[in-house]
Amino acid sequence: MDSAKHLHGRTEIRADYLDKVTGEAKFASDIVVPGMLHGRILRSTLPHARILAIDTSAALAMPGVVAVLTGADLAGINAHWGLYLRDRPVIAIDRVRYVGEPVAAVAAVDEFTAEEALDAIQVDYESLPFVTDAEEAMAPGAPILHEDMNKLKDFYFKGETKAVPGTNIFQHYQYENGDVDKAFAGAHRVFEDSFTFPMVFHYAMEPHVVVADFREDSIALWSCAQSPTAVQKVLSQLFEIPLAKIRVVTPFVGGGFGGKASVKIDPLVAALSRKAARPVRVCLSITESMLTCRRLSAHVNLKTAVSEQGELLAKSVRVVMNGGAYADTGPAVAIKSAIRAIGPYRIPNLRLESMAVYTNTVPGAAFRSIGGPQAVWATESQMDMIAEALHIDPVAFRLANMLDKGGLVRPDLRPLDVDMPEMLKSALRLMDAEAGSNARARGVAVAATDPGVLPVGGAIVRLKADASVLVLANTVEIGQGTHGVLRSVAARALSQPIERISVPAPDTDVSPYDWGTGASRSSVVIGLAVEEACADIARQVRELAADLYGGEPEAFLLADGGVVGPNGMVSIRELLHALNGVDSGEFIGIGRITPRSKQGAFARAPLFWETAVGVGEIEVDVDTGEVRLERYVSAADVGHVLNRKAAEGQDEGAAVQGLGHSLYEELVYEDGQPINASMIDYHVPAMDEAPHQFVTLLVESGDGPGPEGARGMGEGGILPVAPVIANALARRYGARIRDLPMTPEKVWRALNDAKKKGGK
Amino acid sequence: MKTGIPTLDIAFVLNGVRVSATVEPRELLIDVLREKFELSGTKRSCDIGVCGACTVLIDGLPASSCSMIAADVDGREVLTIEGLGTPQGLDPIQQAFVAHGALQCGFCTPGMVLAVKGLLALNASPTEDEIRHFLRGNLCRCTGYVKIIEAVVDLAQRKHLG
Ligand code: FES
Ligand code: FES
Repeated sequence: MDSAKHLHGRTEIRADYLDKVTGEAKFASDIVVPGMLHGRILRSTLPHARILAIDTSAALAMPGVVAVLTGADLAGINAHWGLYLRDRPVIAIDRVRYVGEPVAAVAAVDEFTAEEALDAIQVDYESLPFVTDAEEAMAPGAPILHEDMNKLKDFYFKGETKAVPGTNIFQHYQYENGDVDKAFAGAHRVFEDSFTFPMVFHYAMEPHVVVADFREDSIALWSCAQSPTAVQKVLSQLFEIPLAKIRVVTPFVGGGFGGKASVKIDPLVAALSRKAARPVRVCLSITESMLTCRRLSAHVNLKTAVSEQGELLAKSVRVVMNGGAYADTGPAVAIKSAIRAIGPYRIPNLRLESMAVYTNTVPGAAFRSIGGPQAVWATESQMDMIAEALHIDPVAFRLANMLDKGGLVRPDLRPLDVDMPEMLKSALRLMDAEAGSNARARGVAVAATDPGVLPVGGAIVRLKADASVLVLANTVEIGQGTHGVLRSVAARALSQPIERISVPAPDTDVSPYDWGTGASRSSVVIGLAVEEACADIARQVRELAADLYGGEPEAFLLADGGVVGPNGMVSIRELLHALNGVDSGEFIGIGRITPRSKQGAFARAPLFWETAVGVGEIEVDVDTGEVRLERYVSAADVGHVLNRKAAEGQDEGAAVQGLGHSLYEELVYEDGQPINASMIDYHVPAMDEAPHQFVTLLVESGDGPGPEGARGMGEGGILPVAPVIANALARRYGARIRDLPMTPEKVWRALNDAKKKGGK
Repeated sequence: MKTGIPTLDIAFVLNGVRVSATVEPRELLIDVLREKFELSGTKRSCDIGVCGACTVLIDGLPASSCSMIAADVDGREVLTIEGLGTPQGLDPIQQAFVAHGALQCGFCTPGMVLAVKGLLALNASPTEDEIRHFLRGNLCRCTGYVKIIEAVVDLAQRKHLG
């Protein structure tokens, strides 16, 4: 058994790699459904306006145009949907709330025709006052985007949002522990600083794409959705079609990063198919994807009290997030940003407040570590600022205040399950080894985040007569390698070679409910479900073998191709032959994970902590203000490495994404218009900007909740990058930047200011 | 609808095979490849020539098929990812990508692999800086480039040794 363990389930090569390098992999945008039409979307050109009239007659008269959908077509269905608030119409009804909001959609025989038809649609608007800045949207007299707050409870995330009716505030989160005011009053020093974090576009390289086939009493979709069951639920409520009649298939998805989580364009494409009475494909352009969702920008204010010895005494966090025109999962993002601003530190008195606010901008959405980069940017910058003011080494200052493993970030949350001080020290040692003595400007940052994981999901595993195995799960392969992980989990649990294990594309018609792919959860939650389903099969096989051949079930062990008992090996086929009378059939195992799993241990949040340490060295061109990250060490305790290359790759990718919002990326609004919403004007990191040296340190403490002690990963790496760079700049040049991204202009000005100050 | 629009007959070599097609003057190479020839390995992302996802080789040199008029390949040689290797018979570049785990979602991969092919044809043993510079027009949002660079450096060193 043990040797089998080592033989199987260790293959590093992911099955999807072969299909992907050869171009054979079918992505969501490659799906062709017979008879399908092509849809294009007409979008609002105004940030806030009343729609007075839409004239679609000229478009409809064009040859090849089959249908045009507008808000008027939504009469008779529940036209609004959402995850926390039912605030978003399937397509604009009488009013638009941001530039880019879908106003009309055309289905035609090809994309050219659909595109041309858009030009023929006439929309009369009456402009309304608009607001694109979150603070302004909270000010008295600001235009109100949503007069009603139609809240949902326990719909997608647990709980409900605390919206403030009559304002634009759709989430107001508050938490308090200890006596914060008293601690501030008695402290040696209190530091108050503000930081800003921009709107950032996901830029998953494949744009949003859905093919919908709406029939009289059923809907089939081939979607890029990261959360197929959320799509199913929303569509079911909109169109009043039973869940069992809604099928969502998710082929390979060309990147997600949260931008395809929850629900995005599926309701609109389904409605267009309903109108056209034909299958319709809508594949957005990347520019349209930029007008579909983005990370919530944030203004973070921190007030931190310290003792003379440099002990953190109290902290007050206030985050104001720009949530855009529709709430989406913004309420969860706001909660997480407040919690993630705490850091892995002992802080006896804590006050957290966060708000998410409607504005006339692209709807905010989940993005890799929701609320995390915004919070960690502020907290880890301020940690260095405090250390500097107290003349303490920033690493020593962090270590002195850092929680040990088992310490409480917050009394109501699961204790920190990672040895952060050791991780920080290891990362520093590694950097010293890499960099040698010629230290450049160096910065450090750490993070501890509580993944918003709902431990709810299932898997079905089928062991066939020829000992091939089918693993059915709704985990979407967005590049993170989760299908490879599920294969290796099944291979190990059933002692079968990995080559015989297949994981087909998620299909809600055949695979069990899964909450959604995101928040670093799939390997843990669905990995465990697969393990459980395999254990179910093993039990059935061993009981049957004992029944047929005598002895105790324990005397039989699964082995390559069959089961080994006291009298040698019996193949799965022979076993089924003896059972069924013909030599065919299968064993079916079911695995379910719920908050009650592991004797209820899963009920406590978070399921695990996702932590990160970043140590980086930068190079600065002082004449131009251009910064590059030269060397970077990224550390994470992943519990157990399920696939090393995939895990390292996740970490590297996360960090370079972080480099994007650190140095380059920001969606800019002027006069209500997003002025750089195209890949010509919006720059993401290119190959020559990636660090010259990148080391990933994967700590394996073996005590995570997942298979073999694994912990979720893939998000943490994005967190420390921006404060690492800012701290390096400040430490070496005295230039402190509080607003991202750190563009050459900002850096150049900060360098000049520092020089002037230094000169005085 | 293709009414009243003049068309052109073109002939070119596609993945080693002589082919012909009737195209409209406005038709882009990427659409002809994906739709007429059903070669969906060529991916569309930015659609404006900045990301490299749609890279194909034309007479051995990388080109963005999203920004190229199909009629312009008349008489030329086009290589798409489908012409490079199969899961059973990978090209050395594809092998290196697999061995180094130089991909995740895989959407940038066909274009990236072909760009590497173009690079190595011009320069069999590029330095790491040359690699980074040549491939800067091929974006990848998943990998952070680290393992892609490793894979290409590995290839370059092998070529160098060989
Ligand atoms: S899709 Fe052609 S360069 Fe981006
Ligand atoms: S692997 Fe996803 S974009 Fe490169």
